[in-house]
Amino acid sequence: MTDALVVSNLLLWLVVLALLVAVIALARQVGILYERVAPMGALTLDAGPAVGAAAPTMSLRALDGRAIELGIPGRASTLLFFLSPTCPVCKKLLPILRSIQGAERSWMNIVLASDGEPAEHQAYVARQRLEDFPYVLSRDLGLAFRVGKLPYAVLVDEQGHVRAKGLVNSREQIESLFNARDLGVGSVQELVRQRG
Amino acid sequence: MVALSNLLAIDAVIARACGATVALILLIGAIDKLRDRELFEAIVENYRVLPAGAAASWFARALPAAEIIVAGLLLWPAARFIGAAAAIGLLLLFSSAIAVNLVRGRRDIDCGCGGASGRQTLSWWLAARNAVLALLALLGATEGAAREMAWLDAFTAVAGTLALFALYVFFNQLGANAPRLKSLRRHA
Repeated sequence: MTDALVVSNLLLWLVVLALLVAVIALARQVGILYERVAPMGALTLDAGPAVGAAAPTMSLRALDGRAIELGIPGRASTLLFFLSPTCPVCKKLLPILRSIQGAERSWMNIVLASDGEPAEHQAYVARQRLEDFPYVLSRDLGLAFRVGKLPYAVLVDEQGHVRAKGLVNSREQIESLFNARDLGVGSVQELVRQRG
Repeated sequence: MVALSNLLAIDAVIARACGATVALILLIGAIDKLRDRELFEAIVENYRVLPAGAAASWFARALPAAEIIVAGLLLWPAARFIGAAAAIGLLLLFSSAIAVNLVRGRRDIDCGCGGASGRQTLSWWLAARNAVLALLALLGATEGAAREMAWLDAFTAVAGTLALFALYVFFNQLGANAPRLKSLRRHA
């Protein structure tokens, strides 16, 4: 009888552990699902101007007063980098952005974009020494590109068309936006999917 | 220590599983923080609890090291009590930092708990979770009611630890999902 109990008990433990793993996996999948059905544009999963489409023409003013024109052909390419002072991954990417701006200055300008009260952002710019970058506060800009999660980057080319866009977490992902532009692929996610 | 054991008289196997679970949680948390120290430093800065400047960088290095040491203490029989006390201290530290920001109204920052559950933002449930972990640490410090041990007990201790840890990961995932569900409900 004891042997039977021991066997039963061992089996039960193994089943319990297996079930726990399954339940964790399910919960993770549910989390991913929630993220995909983003609050902005709940019906369109891949929202915002499509790759290859013209970027919305916008006249914006940076924190330091300079005018930023978006979507107008004949200008240099623009890398729009959407961030927030309370986004840790964004902060991690700032030195990388500086280095990329230095390397790609010949054909591209980086524009930082966010939303909210100027005071908080001005403090952020001072703290992180972002004076070299144009820093734009525009709710309309974020809405136009359906920016939900941060950090988000959009590459607009010299003709004012959206060349690549997507969530970026690392230098490789930012640079793959440039590669995506060169290869004619729409987004980081699409590039990753193609690479398999 | 004996008085504590008599107060919370649970089986030794359960006590060991509780202590090992807290140790495992601390260990995995520390590894996560070490894997991307820059990111963790940014998260610590975001809390705005430490003075500005080098403090965040120092803390980003010191905390994972402390977590690993405390995990070791919890697993070492002679140092169980100190390990539990230290673990409860760490948990109080985390909960205070979280509470300070919740009172300030800053819910949307990354909690820095790490783990595979993805980014969690702050909420009072985190403080409740930490309280449960503190209780586990306390139970882990007790010797446990003595009885004759069999090989099955070792298996139970290991399986029990894994099960408790899995429950922790699961509830963390639910916690990470909750704000996304809330925002879905608001907009749907």
